[in-house]
Amino acid sequence: STCSVLSKDKDKSAASTDGTPEGAAKRQEDGAETPKQQLLDIIGDMKVEVSYRKKLQQLKASENKKQAVNKLEGPDSEGSVPQGITEDAQRGKPLNPELVKAASAVASSLPRNKKQTESELLAQLRRHEETTDKQKKGGTVNIRNVISEMTVKRQSPAQWGARISSRISLRLDEDRQRIRPDRSSAQSMDSRSFLFFYRSLRVGKRLNIFTKASTEPEHALKTVPSPTIWDLEFAKEVAAVTAQPPRNGFEEMIQWTKEGILWEFPIDNEVGMEDDAEFHEHIFLEKHLEGFPKEGPIRHFMELVICGLSKNPYLSVKQKVEHIEWFQKYFEEKKELLQEI
Amino acid sequence: MAAAALCWALRAARQVLPSSCPRQVRSYYVDWRMLRDVKRRKMAYEHADERLRINAIRKNSILPKELQEVADKEIAALPRDSCPVRIRNRCVLTSRPRGVKRRWRLSRIVFRHFADHAQMSGVQRAMW
Repeated sequence: STCSVLSKDKDKSAASTDGTPEGAAKRQEDGAETPKQQLLDIIGDMKVEVSYRKKLQQLKASENKKQAVNKLEGPDSEGSVPQGITEDAQRGKPLNPELVKAASAVASSLPRNKKQTESELLAQLRRHEETTDKQKKGGTVNIRNVISEMTVKRQSPAQWGARISSRISLRLDEDRQRIRPDRSSAQSMDSRSFLFFYRSLRVGKRLNIFTKASTEPEHALKTVPSPTIWDLEFAKEVAAVTAQPPRNGFEEMIQWTKEGILWEFPIDNEVGMEDDAEFHEHIFLEKHLEGFPKEGPIRHFMELVICGLSKNPYLSVKQKVEHIEWFQKYFEEKKELLQEI
Repeated sequence: MAAAALCWALRAARQVLPSSCPRQVRSYYVDWRMLRDVKRRKMAYEHADERLRINAIRKNSILPKELQEVADKEIAALPRDSCPVRIRNRCVLTSRPRGVKRRWRLSRIVFRHFADHAQMSGVQRAMW
């Protein structure tokens, strides 16, 4: 009964389990540990995420393996076991006999065509063995490492965390109040998983897929001769020939915009007005008043002029300076007249 | 290098050149009065700053009156067409001096013509 309960718990948690036979072997070794420890190990190992069916198979394999071990100890032996062994012998690859027994047990437990499933499982195991052998030899293509690294999904903790929380919430209470904290926890888990994902991008050896582009020194000092008149004429001719009449209203508007007939939208009020001056240059214009006498009506007048200019947002600084200079010139011309007064 | 220069020239030409299809371009003003009005507008634009500054000296209670009289004479000496008062807002299409709506720069007759043919954007016959 405890086994069945545990299996249910394992079903609930879409925990990522080891897909390799090494993992299965480990689990077989840990058969002596408590089932709780097993569950914790599974949750702790965050490796390749396997489909649900495979997980089921593996769980059942672990269960059946225990059963098989118990049965083997006893006098009775399953009829399918020797068959599996003979099939392996025919293929010529020495598979782990325990795995073979587990596969046969699984095949027998599943409701479909037992022999077919058994053969499929054995083929899978063989493939796994081959890959592990190759990896041990070190002759695998680098791409495999790449892919194996790439298949690492960091979203699993968030996923099954969310699933657990959602299922628990659904089971315990179907109030709306419960779902809110679960959502926040799921979001926090997602953010954490996100961080994991980003960390995993920097971690890992270089793939050497792209060669670093050789940054050529920019030919800024290339002496380009200015286009001659003939070049310009030729260019104009070519443009005139290749320019197609606009096919629709949009192309017409595009052409108008290029020619300057139509404004560019969204309308920028400051088109053509490039005022790079700071605000203090607009407002504090007293420094331009140096050419004027410091007292008298002229000074008074000019100070009023400056006051008006400082409040004028439509003129550029250059225009304001020109304004003041014009007055200066005007008053200098009238100096004789002023001195008579 | 020559190719690059050519490309640049091509790009520039493409942008500036009008399309191959002919377009209606108005090369004449409607009548002489319109032409004179255009000349007055140009002159007024040229002398606008000067007129503003001289007027600032004239319409003043601070500066001495002699100076203001001199400014009066100066502004009178400017060409006659430089004053903005001589500009008349004529109809753009018919050069009609009267009955011109400022927003559209059209005389009332032309405006009505276009509005009835639904060629004035956002203009509708009033009915209430």
